[in-house]
Amino acid sequence: MSLGAMRGVFWIIVAAIGTVLASAPAVAHPHVWVTIRSQLLFSSDGAVVGVRHAWTFDDMFSAFATQGLPQQTKGQFTREELASLAEVNVTSLKEYAYFTFARADGKNALFSDPKDYWLDYRDAMLTLNFTLPLKQPVKAREFALEVYDETYFVAFEMAPKDPVALGTGAPPACRSTVRAPQELTVEQSRRLSELDAATPNIDDKLDDSFANRIIVICP
Amino acid sequence: MITRSRRIVLLIGVVALASAAVGVAQGQPFGMTRPPVAADGGFTQWLLIKQAEFYRALSGAVRAAKADGSAAWGLMSLSFLYGMFHAAGPGHGKAVISSYLVANNETWRRGVVLSFASALLQAVVAVAIVAVAAVLLGATAATMGRAVRWIEIASYGLIALIGMRLVWVKSGAFVRALRRTASREERNHGALHDGGHRHCSGHSHSGDCSSGHHHHSHHHDGGACDHASAWGHAHGPEPMELAGRGGWRRGLAAIVAVGLRPCSGAIIVLVFALAQGIFLIGVGATLAMGVGTALTVTLIATLAVAARGMAGRLAGARPGIGMIALRGLETAAALALLLFGLLLLVGYLASERLPGVF
Repeated sequence: MSLGAMRGVFWIIVAAIGTVLASAPAVAHPHVWVTIRSQLLFSSDGAVVGVRHAWTFDDMFSAFATQGLPQQTKGQFTREELASLAEVNVTSLKEYAYFTFARADGKNALFSDPKDYWLDYRDAMLTLNFTLPLKQPVKAREFALEVYDETYFVAFEMAPKDPVALGTGAPPACRSTVRAPQELTVEQSRRLSELDAATPNIDDKLDDSFANRIIVICP
Repeated sequence: MITRSRRIVLLIGVVALASAAVGVAQGQPFGMTRPPVAADGGFTQWLLIKQAEFYRALSGAVRAAKADGSAAWGLMSLSFLYGMFHAAGPGHGKAVISSYLVANNETWRRGVVLSFASALLQAVVAVAIVAVAAVLLGATAATMGRAVRWIEIASYGLIALIGMRLVWVKSGAFVRALRRTASREERNHGALHDGGHRHCSGHSHSGDCSSGHHHHSHHHDGGACDHASAWGHAHGPEPMELAGRGGWRRGLAAIVAVGLRPCSGAIIVLVFALAQGIFLIGVGATLAMGVGTALTVTLIATLAVAARGMAGRLAGARPGIGMIALRGLETAAALALLLFGLLLLVGYLASERLPGVF
């Protein structure tokens, strides 16, 4: 093959790859909406030991998720009838690190597998209850908890009322504040629109400024 | 030429009007989690926000349709708009169709048929899955998720196969174009032959037929392909095999490849409608989504065909190198198609996941 031909082939390949990358699926719109209520769990000596989540799914997704599940009474599901679904839920959530990220005084704190999980069905909406224990109990002046899906397939929002509570054992001086997602800056909007949901590349993902953030300060 | 541009303008007009209509009808966002985007957030971002809004509003519209049958029309319009905006957002369908059209040098009319058929097939597949799995068999979401996964694999495999075939055909044509220019002796003949090919394979839209007449209907069936012998020294299949009557069969493969994978949103809405006891209204909404999707894909297919036509005209002006560039473009598009299929298959490019539960 002549040099010119090789150059031609090279550009063809570049063009093809460029086309594919340029039209790589950007981030999807949310298909699931979740309203968050969370409780921070403390040990008797005042260390944070985990978080207890109650996530309520939107009615459309709840209908989808409960499709075909056996039920005694139409329009109702008991905790037992939903047990297998809850199992699937927490199992598949592992892949997404439970969408929950914690930092104690700026240092990442890791969670182990969830326990005490179940689903409730009320007003045609599912609520997933589960406890995420911290691998190591931690005492921190500032404990920050974030809940978000960086691929924006699941949209999380804080419950309008009492989104966060401090469990028994919390030092009396501890105060919690919540921060709703920040308004997207123009730069973030641009990045969101260019986000390649398919590439599991951390650098490619949005930062957490649109996360729901719970901050507990224990002076 | 005039007819085509007029059609494009018409399409853009439809899209603009429809979105304006919704802006008036809805007035405000539907309890979006996301704050509205900054004014200069960009067109793509606006599309993403819009489709999310429409999707979010669908559940309310389904419930309204349950309470009052006449609200079903609102649900249909909303579904139509969702389909239109959703198709403009993420998804490989448009890209695959565009690559296919460019690689195959298809006519605008075929692009439209392809777009509509694949979008409607997509809606029909969603309805079929929910009708069979959920309505008849009472299957769970996880089962439907698995079914979609298999359909997905078939669809991506088909895309890769179509791409592979086109790469074979087009790279052959590309190499021949290279050879012809390489040989000084053959160069003039080559240009002649190229002209003959373009004429006979019925690509009158690309404007490489120098006559300047652009009768849309005249060259479509490629019946005039007696000049195929001009490519007698070919080793691969003749490019004109892809046009003409037999080409429809391959067109069908493209329709199936793109339309096989149902949109997750449609399935979720259908199941929700089923739970509300208004499955048939959900079916109507899904078809409306399909029509909306078809319009957007048609618009993008139109751009692809127009761009290919322009490339054809440019190439026509410079016979030797122009022909090489044109065949190169087609080969690149075919290769892109193959890459799409393969990357989707191995999961590097993800389409929207249908959450088994997540």
